[in-house]
Amino acid sequence: MARVKPKRHNIRVDMTAMTDVSFLLLTFFILTAQFNVPDVETVTTPSSISEKLLPDASLMTVLSTTDGKFYFTPVDNGTERMQLLDKMGEKYGLKFTNQEKVEFTKVQSVGVPMNQLKGYLNLSEEDKKAFKSQTGVPLDSTNKQLIDWVQQSLAVNPGYKLAIKGDVETKYPKVKALFEGLRDIDFLKFWLITSQEVAQ
Amino acid sequence: MAEVQVKDSSGKGGKVRSQKQPPHVDLTPMVDLAFLLITFFMLVTTFNKPNVMDLGLPAKPKDPQQQPDTEIDLSNSISLIIGKDNRIFYHQVAAADLNEQTLQETSFDREGITKVIEQAKARAKDQTKFTVIIKPTDDAVYKNFVDILDEMAITKNEIYGITDVKSNEQAVYEKKVGATSAPAAPAADTN
Repeated sequence: MARVKPKRHNIRVDMTAMTDVSFLLLTFFILTAQFNVPDVETVTTPSSISEKLLPDASLMTVLSTTDGKFYFTPVDNGTERMQLLDKMGEKYGLKFTNQEKVEFTKVQSVGVPMNQLKGYLNLSEEDKKAFKSQTGVPLDSTNKQLIDWVQQSLAVNPGYKLAIKGDVETKYPKVKALFEGLRDIDFLKFWLITSQEVAQ
Repeated sequence: MAEVQVKDSSGKGGKVRSQKQPPHVDLTPMVDLAFLLITFFMLVTTFNKPNVMDLGLPAKPKDPQQQPDTEIDLSNSISLIIGKDNRIFYHQVAAADLNEQTLQETSFDREGITKVIEQAKARAKDQTKFTVIIKPTDDAVYKNFVDILDEMAITKNEIYGITDVKSNEQAVYEKKVGATSAPAAPAADTN
């Protein structure tokens, strides 16, 4: 007796489930992706062999450009930014309106001296984008506003970390002034942002 | 599963119709696309984090008079002087013996500075105390500074200090820079 052969039909895998999963993951990644906001000014960081990645923790960033200007990026948290602005206002005898405070929570970084900050905050979005600071945040032996920003941020929350993103061509005396200023306020541990060493 | 339910409409005079197969869509391209995008987003999210290197500074002494005057045995330390145009000099001599011959030049690479540091470390009397003293001049740029800190990580030197150039070192360095490649008038600051 010949066995009854089951009727062959070509194998077809149902891909619906796989598609579901992959799109679920896709949506997750799209939603969690944080796109890099470009820096105020382009900065080429030096390379190092360090493999440590920049943590997400509440982080302030100091950007130092080629011609020795400093920009200060406060932490992302809006309420803490407002507190910071209040403290800086107190220190420099400035009163900020609520409108200005709200603007301050949105700015990417501070690149103007305190006396110009009000004017900067009142610029329109487009003007802010096009704004190129002539001076950056001042930092010299008599006018240590950059250090004050760091100090007042720490006063809001002592747990903040600081990262310094310097340009390859920044003159060392500028960097030294920053380090010395940080030593003055006893803030001794921070990170230098570098790029991955390219294999030679 | 995902087949579209086709209702048998057994009306209309009861014509015998061939059973219609429910249409099926080939999902392979869609899955391909989805996975391509997933891969892209995964890579983007992990790689946009920059690297960082730690830097700890020494606290400032409250009273400048109380600076501990630690005398380091010359063989246990090496001074690196970072100069202009990415040039780097080193010496292991006492202040009195420093001149243009004893201040030697090397380069920022594996063959240069890494070797120099490793050899100096091998020669040190007490390798656990081997200290690298980093002295960037005002002509140095940030990159040189980071390169040297990186070098400390490469050569696994835990003990290093960053200080200013002493005046006699500055004088010798300037002589040496002037002597080797007499630069034209010092570049004016473009600020």
